[in-house]
Amino acid sequence: MPTRKTIKKPLPSVVKNMEEWPIYKAYENPDLFLNKVKELVKKNASWILKDDVTLRNEIKNIVYQEKMRLSKTPWKSDNPKEKLFWSDIKKQVRSSKATISENGTKEVDERILNQILDFYGTEMIADFKISSFKFAQKALPYIYSRLINSFPQIVYRLFSSVDKLYDRMKIMGDIDHIRNLQKIGTVVVVPTHYSNLDSPTIGLSLNNLGLSAFTYGAGVNLFTIKSLSRFMHNLGAYKVDRRRKHRLYIETLKSYSTIALTEEVNSLFYPGGSRSHSGKLENKLKLGLLGTVIDAQRMNLQDGNGKKIFIIPVTLNYHYVLEAKKLIEHYLKDEGKENYLEDENTTSFGLIKRAYKVITSNPGMTISFAPAIDVFGNKVNENGESYTSIGQKVEVADYFKLNGKLVRDVQRDSQYTQILGERILQEYKENTVVLSSNLVAFVAFQIIRKRFSQFTVFEILSLPKDETTIHTDEFIPVLGRVKEALIAIEKENKIILSADLELELEELMKVGINKVGSSHPKYVLRKNKKGEISTQSMKLLYYYHNKLTSYGLEKYI
Amino acid sequence: MKKVAVIGTGNFGLALANLLAINNEVFIYARREEIVEKINEKRAHKGQTIHERVTAVNDFDLITKECKLIFPIVPSSNFKEMLIQLSPYLTAEHILIHGTKGLHIEVDINSVTQLNKSEVLTMSELILKQTSVVRVGCIAGPNLAKELSEKQIGGTVVASRFNEVIVEGKKALNSNIFRVYGSNEVLGVELASVLKNYIAIAAGMLEGIGYGDNSKALLITRGMAEMVFFGKAFGASEKAFMGLAGIGDLMATCNSKLSRNFRVGYQLAKGQKLSDILSDLNEVAEGIKTIKVVKLLAGYGFNSPLADALYKIVYEDWELKQGMDYLMNLPVSDDTDFFTHKDS
Repeated sequence: MPTRKTIKKPLPSVVKNMEEWPIYKAYENPDLFLNKVKELVKKNASWILKDDVTLRNEIKNIVYQEKMRLSKTPWKSDNPKEKLFWSDIKKQVRSSKATISENGTKEVDERILNQILDFYGTEMIADFKISSFKFAQKALPYIYSRLINSFPQIVYRLFSSVDKLYDRMKIMGDIDHIRNLQKIGTVVVVPTHYSNLDSPTIGLSLNNLGLSAFTYGAGVNLFTIKSLSRFMHNLGAYKVDRRRKHRLYIETLKSYSTIALTEEVNSLFYPGGSRSHSGKLENKLKLGLLGTVIDAQRMNLQDGNGKKIFIIPVTLNYHYVLEAKKLIEHYLKDEGKENYLEDENTTSFGLIKRAYKVITSNPGMTISFAPAIDVFGNKVNENGESYTSIGQKVEVADYFKLNGKLVRDVQRDSQYTQILGERILQEYKENTVVLSSNLVAFVAFQIIRKRFSQFTVFEILSLPKDETTIHTDEFIPVLGRVKEALIAIEKENKIILSADLELELEELMKVGINKVGSSHPKYVLRKNKKGEISTQSMKLLYYYHNKLTSYGLEKYI
Repeated sequence: MKKVAVIGTGNFGLALANLLAINNEVFIYARREEIVEKINEKRAHKGQTIHERVTAVNDFDLITKECKLIFPIVPSSNFKEMLIQLSPYLTAEHILIHGTKGLHIEVDINSVTQLNKSEVLTMSELILKQTSVVRVGCIAGPNLAKELSEKQIGGTVVASRFNEVIVEGKKALNSNIFRVYGSNEVLGVELASVLKNYIAIAAGMLEGIGYGDNSKALLITRGMAEMVFFGKAFGASEKAFMGLAGIGDLMATCNSKLSRNFRVGYQLAKGQKLSDILSDLNEVAEGIKTIKVVKLLAGYGFNSPLADALYKIVYEDWELKQGMDYLMNLPVSDDTDFFTHKDS
């Protein structure tokens, strides 16, 4: 049973000397790192090297796609030299007929392939500068705290507000266990994703746990301001261009992540992919990058070092998500994935502005670290040893063995990735923290839904205000039943209740109503003197309510 | 030569051990020492001659150390108990391919009025729950033990989400008398092999009252539709039901007096009492239990008129004629509704 605790202040680093941090060592020699990435791509992308014709066609296809991307969806963050690079590759392909050796086109095309991989690798690679990290470590909490403070000119508040920040940012989990695992192996943190604020929030949280720095993929659109881009780059952010969909790029990205993990660099992914548009807990994961933990674990075993990789699911729980309105509208329109043009607007400057707004107005957030699991989803003990759900000790090497030998099997490992994904979803569910805001939103929306049980969600969302008003006399008993049900679920360790839920029902209702989506221009919930609870935005109410829809609580309404 | 193991010395376990012995050295695990001795000394058991490369043992430690590929062929009612004993010896390196055509129910089905999906486990789900083995598969198809033991040609399907399991299963079993097909539809294959048992009981009943091939063809076709409806409600695709474990096994068991379930239906139609039939059978007829399980799962909204009628006949003492009248008076739907049907 994990010992869950909440930390209020940053803990000292587990490994004090930053020069010993794997991230520092890995990025100290970028050429060596990229060479390993390149070799792994070539090893894994056997389809591209199948024969002369395939290789040539793939290269032509890549050049075509890249040129199309540059002309159809150009971004400010695009490398100005890129156009020239692809033109040059195209020229080389065309002129290669004259230089073809006896071996056909393969020799020439392999050279071209290497150039493409070098180009991707150089664009992608992160760095880790101790000076930048130390600066971030010292400055960021103060910048954050200052953002909270309404009167920043008063200097003393600058310092006192750091404590306020940590009051608002509750970090909970089996912290000692996680810190201990950092000494034994590599830590991969996989958080839920609701907001653009997630990355700074999780970054600060990981630093507060005293873990060695993490490497993480960041969209190229976030690298628009040069100085900030440099800063992120120096803090372990590798560039990911989500416009590039072709297999070679995806393979390069995966190989990058795999090599970082085999170099023991702590890593961070959002396995849900983009932010949850509905506000619901993730119920499906994108398995691409997640699969790299399986590859890396196998490679570690094959290399003989056997270094273990530990996965730590993290749930981020907010009373207020700045982008909630836009996200839920996207979801309701069923537009699917965010389109890239819009993402382009999410510049680093935009992100800071958003962070400012959220932090200054956020009534709090809880970052909940789930117990660590191995890459197959088994729980791990304090020594990093794996145990199945029925308490049997297992060796991770055995999962990769066939007839006594460690072997690579892409199909098998894709199944393991799915199993890991399912386990992460389970941990998300069990480590979600029920905030008073989500609870009151859930109760309010479900009461309205029950009132109009014949209506579709869309019809309910367009109901007039007077149809959706709920009197506290109706609200409180339902709140009581749902709360009791949640207490029972928590007893089975299937959810975590925040401290607000210890309040008496009246108070809980009041606190929840005050906190839910507190800074949207339209209020999500409000109670008047007559005891009537109403909303100005059914969509936002629906969004905040969605967080609790996967626990079968509807029957208590 | 590779070493593989079979757990269980029922008719199918013995037949499978003999088939495996064509390509492998085989350990067959028996719970009782006297059976181990009998197999090893007399080289025959339950009317089957035992291949020279088959060795009977009573030692889980030995078989799990020597063999990484293991075929548990144990009745569903004993499966969990067997796994509890076997589990401490298993590692994640082992591959288990079971051949049990039954379901494990977490509660006593005689003391409940309905079942939740979570209380019903296929054998592969039970293996995943009770052991550290992840690479799990099942073997299913028209595999009547007696015909297999006579070395008649036949075929089967090995299903698993892991291709590695399918490949290992094929390598171990494929021979010039036994063709092994692969499938990733493990849930569908398992459900097909379970559900066809009660269709076979109904087929035995038809034979028992002297009905001919038209009636049986109607039964088999609509029986398969019913199996698909059930499968879809539980998250399986219809694909597996069209293969060896579905239509293949239905054709064999619904036409053969070698099938225990068929025999139960036949004897019921001849007026024998169920308790007498089952005690004479001396082996498990999974279909009787399956009828009840399907009935208890009715809340999931799939169409199962055949199981309903069989339930009334087997558990509520309806006359056979009454059951048939009930079925023949139901409204008729589209011929191939199981392709278009979406589970509720």
